[in-house]
Amino acid sequence: MNNQRLIRRMVRRETHSSRAAASVLAATVLLALCLWLALEAVLMMAGVPALLASPGDTGRWLAGLPAATIPGWLAAAGVGIALLGVVLIVAGMAPGRRPRRALASDRCAVVVDDDVIAAAVSRTVQLSSGFAPGQVTTTVAGRSARVQVRPTSGLALDAGALTAAASSELARYGLATRITPAVRVASSGAVGQ
Amino acid sequence: MRRTNRALNRTLLIVLGLLLAAGGALVAAAGFLPTEADAWAATASTLLGQASALLSSAPLPGPVRSWWAVAWVGGLLLAAALCVAWIASQGGGRTRRLAQEDDGGRGTTVVDVGLVSAAVKNATADNRLVVATAVSAWELPRTTGLQLRLQARQGASPGDLAGTAEDLVTGIDAWLGDQIPVLVRITSGARTATARRGRVQ
Repeated sequence: MNNQRLIRRMVRRETHSSRAAASVLAATVLLALCLWLALEAVLMMAGVPALLASPGDTGRWLAGLPAATIPGWLAAAGVGIALLGVVLIVAGMAPGRRPRRALASDRCAVVVDDDVIAAAVSRTVQLSSGFAPGQVTTTVAGRSARVQVRPTSGLALDAGALTAAASSELARYGLATRITPAVRVASSGAVGQ
Repeated sequence: MRRTNRALNRTLLIVLGLLLAAGGALVAAAGFLPTEADAWAATASTLLGQASALLSSAPLPGPVRSWWAVAWVGGLLLAAALCVAWIASQGGGRTRRLAQEDDGGRGTTVVDVGLVSAAVKNATADNRLVVATAVSAWELPRTTGLQLRLQARQGASPGDLAGTAEDLVTGIDAWLGDQIPVLVRITSGARTATARRGRVQ
């Protein structure tokens, strides 16, 4: 496997979920069901009273289910089971992106958490305009970085300069998909900064 | 970079989801439509009859009564074993051994992850961008991969941290005399939140 392909594979595995948790959960439920059915069958063969229901009782219960249950409840249970199935199908098909992304690099795969990028953007904006640390908060999600600024009371603020500072910081990383900063200046100011 | 078979995970989840969705639709139909409920009862009683006919078709002496019951238990145990195998296939592939070279029958040189880990800790001790490091190794198809985790100080630029990482990797390459695949993770964590903010230089 050549280097670039290996790097792409490592980045892909690191930025997407492996669905291990969902798989372990599904397998555990399935395992419990199989073991219970096997145990009931063995108990019946040994002539010991059933744990919850013998295989024959379970079969007859399933066969008589529509007759023994209020139709509304049966329909609701069916919809619930089908929804659980849809959740599993979505878990199997959705990309499962994690909040992290790859930085450009020739030698190694570099993957950064989104909140590290957000903290760096906050700090750049804060230093570019002489704010105190608490006055700038940034959230990075998907292709946008929302920068929220609480201005110092009584001082004029150039939102364009803040956006430029955030953009130039983001441009340094060489991200595969660009993040566009959106600066929002709060209407209330901070006093005494 | 664990060894989890992700395609298998997704395929099995989709198959299970389809089965559950189909079963749920059947139950819901039996609840909504009286004709479906009647069909359910008719089909179920036929199936029960066939099952008991099957059980008596291969009789066994004693309390077990039928070979088919034995086969049923065997099938269930096989399915349970497959579930255990599915659970066991998650993760894995982590190793302590980063590199290994045989020296023509005179001996084997093994580089342990701990060596690189200590070197990286030492190299980043004075680095104001990094609050903590962790190094681990994974088995890849033909080689071993190295994962280098850098915990960033609050507000440290990922660009600068990537530069630091490249320097570290260059050093490791020179040390090992070979380029192994490296994954660099720049993260935030508990230490990021509690450590002091970096001063403006």
